[in-house]
Amino acid sequence: MDQQEEQDRALPIANVGRIMKQILPPSAKISKEGKQLMQECVTEFISFVTSEASDKCHKENRKTVNGDDICWALSSLGFDNYAEAIGRYLHKYRQAEREKINQHKLETTKLQYYDGSATETEKQPRVTDKVENPSTTNQSG
Amino acid sequence: MRQAGAYSGLLCGGVSGRTGPHSLPLARIKKIMKKSGEDVKMISGEAPIIFSKACELFIQELTRRSWIMAIQGKRRTLHKEDLASAVIATDIFDFLITLVSNSDSHETTSAIMEVETVDFS
Repeated sequence: MDQQEEQDRALPIANVGRIMKQILPPSAKISKEGKQLMQECVTEFISFVTSEASDKCHKENRKTVNGDDICWALSSLGFDNYAEAIGRYLHKYRQAEREKINQHKLETTKLQYYDGSATETEKQPRVTDKVENPSTTNQSG
Repeated sequence: MRQAGAYSGLLCGGVSGRTGPHSLPLARIKKIMKKSGEDVKMISGEAPIIFSKACELFIQELTRRSWIMAIQGKRRTLHKEDLASAVIATDIFDFLITLVSNSDSHETTSAIMEVETVDFS
C-alpha cells in the first residue's frame, strides 16, 4: 500500500492533529510521526469497534449496524466511559432527527391545506368554521 | 427551515464528506467501517456520526495519556514513542499494541495483524 492509499484509508491528518492540539497545553508540540501514528490508531479503533458491533448484528440476524450497536460494542470492549457519553449523544441526535421529521410533516400539512384545491365553482372553502383565514405565514403562491 | 439549537449541527452536517460541524469526515469513517470485515453490509446513517464523536474521545484520551509520557521524559513535544508507551500502559488499548510496536515496518504489521485476526474466533 503506497503513501497515498494509506492516507485515503485513514482519517485526515489535519483533523486528527487539531483534536490532539485541543487537548494539549498551547506550548505543546506534536511530531509528524506522532500524528501519523495517531491516524493509524484511530483507524484501527474504528475497525475494532465495528467488527464487534457487526458480530452482534450477525448473531441477531440483523443486516444494519446502528448507533445502539456501536454503543454496545464500546461497552463490551471496555470503553465504558465513551459508551455513556455516546449514549447521550445518540439520544439527542435521534431526538433532533424526530423533530426535523415532525417539522417537515407540519410544513407539508400546511402546504396541502392552503394549496388552493377548491375549484372555481366552490367559492367557500370546504373547511369548518374553526379555520382562520391564511395569516401572513402563508407563502404558497 | 432549519432549527436553531445545540444540535442543529447534527441536522445540517449530513454525510457530505466535508468536516462541517463534525470534526471528522463521515464518508471516510463509513469507508473504514465497511473495510473492517466481510460481515459489515449495511450501516445506518447515525453510525458514522456516533463514531465521529467516539473517535474524538479516543483521540483525546490517547493524547492525554501520551502527553503524560512526554512530560515524564521532560519533553514538550509528543513523539510516537509516547503514544506507544501510553498504549502499552493502558489495558483497553491492548488492541493497538502490535500497531505501535511495529510502526516502523508496515509490512510486518499487516502480516501480524492478519494472524491475530484469525486467532480471534
